[in-house]
Amino acid sequence: MTSLRRLGRIVLAILRELADENAYRRHLAVQGREHSGAEWRRFSEERLRAKYARAKCC
Amino acid sequence: MKLLSRLLWVAIAVAAALCLGGVALLRGEHINSIWLVLAAACTYITAYRFYGRFVAARVMALDDRRATPAERLRNGHDFEPTNKWILLGHHFAAIAGPGPLVGPVLAAQFGYLPGTLWIVIGAVLGGAVQDFVILFASMRRDGKSLGKMAREEIGKVGGFIALITVLMIMVILLAVVGLVVVNALKGSPWGTFTIAATMPVALFMGFYLRYWRPGKVLECSAIGFVLVFASVLGGRFVAASASFAPMFTWSAMALAIGIIVYGFLASALPVWMLLAPRDYLSTFVKLGVVFMLAVGILFARPELQLPAFTRFIDGTGPIFAGKIFPFCFITIACGAVSGFHSLISSGTTPKMIAKEWHAVPIGYGSMLMESFVAIMAMIAACVLQPGVYFAVNSPAGVVGATPAAAAATISNWGFPVTAATMAQLAKDVGETTLFFRTGGAPSLALGMAHIFARTGGSAVLGFWYHFAIMFEALFILTILDAGTRVGRFMLQDLLSHAAPPLGRMTWMPGVILTSAMVVASWGYFLIQGVRDPLGGINSLWPLFGISNQLLATIALSVATTILLKMHGARYAWITFAPLAWLVTVTFTAGWQKIFSPLPAIGFLAQADKLAAAGAAGAATQTLIFNARLDAAVCGVLMALVAVVLADSARVWVGILRGTADAHVREAPFVPSRLQAEEI
Repeated sequence: MTSLRRLGRIVLAILRELADENAYRRHLAVQGREHSGAEWRRFSEERLRAKYARAKCC
Repeated sequence: MKLLSRLLWVAIAVAAALCLGGVALLRGEHINSIWLVLAAACTYITAYRFYGRFVAARVMALDDRRATPAERLRNGHDFEPTNKWILLGHHFAAIAGPGPLVGPVLAAQFGYLPGTLWIVIGAVLGGAVQDFVILFASMRRDGKSLGKMAREEIGKVGGFIALITVLMIMVILLAVVGLVVVNALKGSPWGTFTIAATMPVALFMGFYLRYWRPGKVLECSAIGFVLVFASVLGGRFVAASASFAPMFTWSAMALAIGIIVYGFLASALPVWMLLAPRDYLSTFVKLGVVFMLAVGILFARPELQLPAFTRFIDGTGPIFAGKIFPFCFITIACGAVSGFHSLISSGTTPKMIAKEWHAVPIGYGSMLMESFVAIMAMIAACVLQPGVYFAVNSPAGVVGATPAAAAATISNWGFPVTAATMAQLAKDVGETTLFFRTGGAPSLALGMAHIFARTGGSAVLGFWYHFAIMFEALFILTILDAGTRVGRFMLQDLLSHAAPPLGRMTWMPGVILTSAMVVASWGYFLIQGVRDPLGGINSLWPLFGISNQLLATIALSVATTILLKMHGARYAWITFAPLAWLVTVTFTAGWQKIFSPLPAIGFLAQADKLAAAGAAGAATQTLIFNARLDAAVCGVLMALVAVVLADSARVWVGILRGTADAHVREAPFVPSRLQAEEI
C-alpha cells in the first residue's frame, strides 16, 4: 500500500512537471511572489518562449 | 543473497537469449506477441544492468560527489535539481515522438523479425549509448547544446553544420508527418471532425488557462481530454449524418492545404492561445495511450499474423522500395537510434539532473523505453492479417486503383485479401474505405483498435480506431506547429545577420514573413507527397530516416571525440562501433536513393523514367523536378555530414598521434552539497 501511494505520488509529480505546475511553484519561490493571474501570465510567457524555441523530438 | 542475485541475473539473461532465439528461429506457425515483449524486456533489463552500468562506471566514471550544473548553477528556472523519476518521465515524454510508432509499422513490410531485431539491438548498443553519452557530456559541460559541443570538441564547421542539418531535417520531418496525418484523414469525416474539434478545444483551454483558471494546467488538460474524448464519440454521428458528413469529407489536397494554413496560424499566433494547450493535452494523451497499449498487449497477448520474413526483403516492397539493408534500418530510425534525441539530451535534461548517476536511467533507460514503444508498434502492425496490412499501406500506383485490382495484386503476392473483407472492415471502423491509406498511421490505429477491442468486439472497433487516429494526429500536429515555430526562430536568427529587424520576435511583418517561409518549405514537400503517384511515403520517409540518422552520426562523432580525449582509444569503440554502422547504413541508403538505376528507389532514375516517357504536361514536369530536388536534398545532407566526419577523423588522428589538443573541456570538479531531501 505504501509502495502504491509512493508510485501515485511520483506519477502525479511527473504530470505536474509536464504541466509546468512544478516550474511555476519554483518560480514563485525564487521570486518570492504570490500566485495571481498576472504572475502566471508573466511566468507562462517566459516559460513557453523558451520551450518553443527548442526543437521537438520526432 | 549475492548468489541469489547472480542467479536472478543469469536467469534474466538466459530468458532474453531464449526469447530472442525463439522469435528468430520459430517458423511455420504464428508466434504470440508475448515472445517479442519478453525478448525485448529481458534484453533491455540485462543491457541496462550490465552495459549501461559498465559505460557509467568505467567509461564516464560518474561520481555523485560531483555537483551537477543543476546544483552549481541553480536558478529556479532552467537549472534545478529534480527527482530522478520525475526527470525520467519528463525526458521520456520529450523524446517520444511519432517516429518509433510509424517507422516500425512501415518496416513490418519485411516481416516482424528484421525490424524487431534492429529495434532491440540498435537501441541497446546504439541509440541508448548515444543519448547517454551526449547527456553525460552536456552535464559535464554546464548543459551545453550539441552544436556548442561540436564547435568546441571538433571545430567551428561541425557546430555550423549541425545547425543547418537540424533545420533541413525539420523541414523533411514536418512534411512527412503532415503526410501521415493527411493519409489518415483523407475521405474520413469521423477522423477529420475529431481532429477539427481539437482546435476549438485547444483555444478554449488556452483562454481557460490564461484568464479563467491561471496555472491550473492539469485541471484544464483533464477538461480538454473529456472534450476530445466526446469529439471522438461525436464523430460517429457526424460520419453517419447526411448533412454533416460531406462537410468533413476532405480530399488529400484539401487536407494538406488545411494543415499548411494551420501550421502558419499556430506559428504566428501567440503561443498560449493554441500551441501550448494542445501540447499539454497531446503529451498526456500520448503517455496515456502508450501505457494503455502496453497493458493491452499484456492482457490480449495477440498472435502475430505477419510472417518473420516477407517476400519483400528482396527490395520490391509496395510500401517503400529497397532491400532490408539498408532500408529496414533507415525506416525504423527513431525506434532504435534517433539523432534528434541528442538535442534533447543536450537541452533541458542535463540542466535538471540532481546527481550524476541519475543519468543512467534517464539517458540510457529512457531510450530503452522508447525502443519498447517501437516494439509495441511493431506488434500492433503485425497482429493484422498480412493482406489487410498491405491493402491499407500500399499506394494505388503500385497495387491498382480499384479495390478489386488492389485485392487481386495483394492476393497474388501470397497475402490473401478480398475487396469484400476490406469493405466490411472499413464499415466496422466507420470508414468508407481502408485501401491506399499509406503512411502507417491507419494500420497502426487498426492494430491498436484490434488489441483494445478484444473485449468489446466489432461494436467498439470503430471507436478505438478513431481514438487511435485522434491520438496520432493530435501529437503529430503538435510537432508540426511547434516545429514550424522553432524553424521560424532559427530562420529569424539566421536572417537577422542580413536584416536586423527580422531578428525581432515581436516585429509582426518579420514573424509573418519567416513563418510563411518555413511553412512554404515543408508545405512544398507535403504537397509533393500528396501528388506523388507512389503515395509520397516511398520517397519522403526514407529521406527523413536518412537525415535523422545523419544527425545521429554527428552526435556520435562528438561523443567519440570526447571519449578519445578522456581515455585514448581504449573505450572509443563504445560510440565508434554504432557510428561506423550508421555511416555505412546512411551513406549506402543515401547513395541508393540518389543513384540507384531502379526508378522505384533512385530519385534520378525516377526523373529519367518520367522524362523518357515523353509526357510534357506541367504535372509530369513537376514530378521530374521533385525527384531531382529530393536527390539534391539527400546529396546536400550527405555532403554536410561527410564534412563533419572528415573533420572529426582529422581530430581523432591528431589525438591518437598526440598532435591535436586532447584537453577535456569539462567544468571543474565542485563537491556536491545537495541533501537527499532536496530531491
